[in-house]
Amino acid sequence: MDSFKKKFIEEASELIDKLEVTLLELEKNPDDPTQIQQVFRVMHTLKGNSSMFGFDLIDKFTHNLETVYDLIRNNQLKLTPQVLNVTLSSVDHLKAMLDEENYDDPDFLTTHNGLIAKINQLINPDKPMEEKQSVQINENKSEEVIHSYYVFFEPRKDIFKNGTNPLYLLDELTSLGKAKVFAHFNRVPLYDQINPEQCYVYWEAIIATENEVNSINDVFIFVESDSKLEIQKVADINLLADEKFLEEITQLANVQKDIGFVTVQRLANQSIARHNKSKSEVVKRERIGYKDKSTASIRVSSDKLDGLMNLVSELVTTQARLSLFAEENSVPGLAPIVENVQKLSRQLRDIAFSIVLIPIENLFGRFQRLVRDLSQELKKDVEFITEGAETELDKTIIENLSDPLMHIIRNSLDHGIEESAIRLAQGKSSKGKIQLKAFYSGANVIIQISDDGAGIDTEIIREKAIQKGIITAERKLSKKEILDLIFLPGFSTAKKVTDVSGRGVGMDVVKKKISEIRGEVEVDSEVGEGTTITIKLPLTLSIIDGLLVSINKSAYVIPLAAIDKIYAVEKSKIYTSFNNLITLDGKQIPFFSLRKEFNLSASDEELEQVVVVNFEDNSVGMVVDFVIGEYQAVLKPLGKHYKTHDIFSGATILGDGTVALVMDTNKIIKDFAKIQVINVK
Amino acid sequence: MEQEKTSKINSYLTFKLGDEEFAAHVGKVLNILEMTKITTVPKAPDYLKGVINLRGAVLPVIDARIKFGMPEAEYTTNTCIIVLDIDLDGDSVHVGAIVDSVQAVLEIDNNQIMPLPTLGSRYKSEFIIGMAKIDEKFIIILNMDAVFSIDEITNLRVNTEINADNVNVEKID
Amino acid sequence: MAKTILIVDDSESIREVVSFTLENEGYKVLIGVDGKDALKFLNGQVIDLIITDLHMPEMDGIELIKNVRKNTNYERIPILFLTTESQTAKKMEAKDAGATGWIIKPFVPAKLIAAINKVIR
Repeated sequence: MDSFKKKFIEEASELIDKLEVTLLELEKNPDDPTQIQQVFRVMHTLKGNSSMFGFDLIDKFTHNLETVYDLIRNNQLKLTPQVLNVTLSSVDHLKAMLDEENYDDPDFLTTHNGLIAKINQLINPDKPMEEKQSVQINENKSEEVIHSYYVFFEPRKDIFKNGTNPLYLLDELTSLGKAKVFAHFNRVPLYDQINPEQCYVYWEAIIATENEVNSINDVFIFVESDSKLEIQKVADINLLADEKFLEEITQLANVQKDIGFVTVQRLANQSIARHNKSKSEVVKRERIGYKDKSTASIRVSSDKLDGLMNLVSELVTTQARLSLFAEENSVPGLAPIVENVQKLSRQLRDIAFSIVLIPIENLFGRFQRLVRDLSQELKKDVEFITEGAETELDKTIIENLSDPLMHIIRNSLDHGIEESAIRLAQGKSSKGKIQLKAFYSGANVIIQISDDGAGIDTEIIREKAIQKGIITAERKLSKKEILDLIFLPGFSTAKKVTDVSGRGVGMDVVKKKISEIRGEVEVDSEVGEGTTITIKLPLTLSIIDGLLVSINKSAYVIPLAAIDKIYAVEKSKIYTSFNNLITLDGKQIPFFSLRKEFNLSASDEELEQVVVVNFEDNSVGMVVDFVIGEYQAVLKPLGKHYKTHDIFSGATILGDGTVALVMDTNKIIKDFAKIQVINVK
Repeated sequence: MEQEKTSKINSYLTFKLGDEEFAAHVGKVLNILEMTKITTVPKAPDYLKGVINLRGAVLPVIDARIKFGMPEAEYTTNTCIIVLDIDLDGDSVHVGAIVDSVQAVLEIDNNQIMPLPTLGSRYKSEFIIGMAKIDEKFIIILNMDAVFSIDEITNLRVNTEINADNVNVEKID
Repeated sequence: MAKTILIVDDSESIREVVSFTLENEGYKVLIGVDGKDALKFLNGQVIDLIITDLHMPEMDGIELIKNVRKNTNYERIPILFLTTESQTAKKMEAKDAGATGWIIKPFVPAKLIAAINKVIR
């Protein structure tokens, strides 16, 4: 219970006790005016203060008692023993009313109603008392309609005497919306006749607001009896947006003493007429059937989103600590609450993420335009197809993708797609095709740009690389390795440097930008058939649904999205396997031990667990000591010192304060694959 | 570097690695922590000992001895982690440095700092702001930004084979 | 500089609620338990607004208002009084005594602040 309420109850109890004493005195001396006044005062105080603290019932109950004693002190009612009895019974009941737990008790209600009836009887014998209903005038803000009002305010000359400052009222008035205020000084006497304690100024104002007239009346509520006040609605449009209207009334205000309601209304009507005329013209011009966004949206500043995400992250972390605490300390009733908190924070996290994740579609839109303009400029006939516009990505990732994607598309248009004549000669359709695809794969978003153009000639690249001294002529490289060379700095193999893709802004910059958002980029190409560039991006930035595993007494997190299934396997099976393959669910799956990967000794346990993750359309098993459980990991960066150490995407702080590293399974598997040749296909 | 020399604050935190005493400008020092359990990050360079939880943020921890090319030593009760705020490529980066012990905070006036001799100095000038002689000892004042950058080993010494024990310090005036 | 408001009410619970609300808004608060007690603050110190209840022992609100207006140092100070809906007669009396405005009980903090904003800034 809030402390103010408690205070009131204390106070009220004291008052009621004093009341009791007073009543008992009155019993002995029923005509004592001081005592009567005392009773009245207590009733008045109780009535006045009780509803402040939530005791509306006491308010209503004491209301009539106050009336009774008001009548008595004004000699309009006699203080009979009956009155005293009722009052004393009421006192008992008042004490009960201070404890809200009684309100459910049927006996309490019976007593309550009985007493009310009796008290009413005292005031109006045989006439039921009407409950004074205070009618609330509900202010309905009419949706988006702006009303214009005319206000005339002339305070009484000596209004300063009671501490009023008319300027504050004008401030309040103008804060209701847009206002134009004219101060009239024509009644200000000559300097040597001015009495500084008098108010000679009066005001007229036009105010445009969505509020109803009551809001304006409210401004002047303290002074309405001390001033000449006129408040009238003059239009249901914003007159102040009409230049002509403004001009006209300003002119008049400067010239005349007052503008006056009549004149204002006249000018307002003219403005309304003008407004209606232009509105009908606009309606004619409006195109019918433009795309309507079915869901309303609001703009939110990035800072607020970042703030929201940070708080959500902290909530997740704290909730993890709470869950841990609940596990370690069994407090009755705590577990279901903690579970609920976990559920709620997960839901909150999901919603927060959905706010920060934006569909990639408007990026696509930008590119449509680019392709259209460029293909015209280059005189190439190109069709641009997009797929997966609804795929959602973190907004910062989308922002950072824009440049690299544009460059890739430019390249495609410039060097990839051939001119129609050449295409036809090759048996291709005259219209080239560039396709932009976005889709989810595991814990990643894949963005693919493919064209059916000339492809990349690996021979040319090889030549160039030898020329630049990057590789020696003897060096044998796989097709992929040659293609990867295009990501090296300064590697523009364009036969002629066009304005479009330029020089130096090469694929190396694209690669750099993409790795900055923790993504990867690869290229595949067939000469004469086309090129495909694949960008792989991590899905969420900061909170990952993960699986907590233990390896050598340290905890690690594996992103849940990467995991297919978990198996418990006997250690013997693992270490006697042939070719690093293990049979799980009837399938042969390549695997490796994370302990070994991390250069740790073999474990002592009999049973180990194999976490099967997906890796480029394949399944690979990773052996851990054991699985701890699911965990929402708030991803924290490892810092610049670990920037190149990419097998871990970051770290998270567990409920007990220790640090667990979050694995990037793709990178770990790739790392492992470099050392051992795994036949994954 | 220059900035540190001309800044008004002349306080330096001194710490020891083996027998040698070093100093870091207090502007670079955020905190000193007791040695605590460090979460190892597998397959990382030796000098990166791992990470710790510092008030909700993940702090990488460097073993200063390894960074300076000294042999690793057992941690004692005096071993501490100095939390540094250094400048890496224009970014402010926090990193912890494990040192054998922390000595004191000393006031070292700019005129007490001797620049390294240009010839024949044992130490590489890009890592060292200068040297000061306090109470008969030489204290090496480090450029923390350079020292704790991301290079593998910070070879403070010109000749990596030189071991502190068997060479006399020659001050060239 | 923070404005100073003098609160006068014989009900401790009301005094507490009002002073809590006002202090939250950044005002400095002086407390009087009734009219007579409140007068002691009129010793030349700066008071920017007085909020007073009407029914108090020793010296009620109306008396207080009259006394304040008689004091040349405080004759133009804004004064708000607390009243209940039904008390039109008392309201008139208070206004005649020189009150600037009123606050109707029961009130929520927002209403209190709205009334204050009409008379001080």
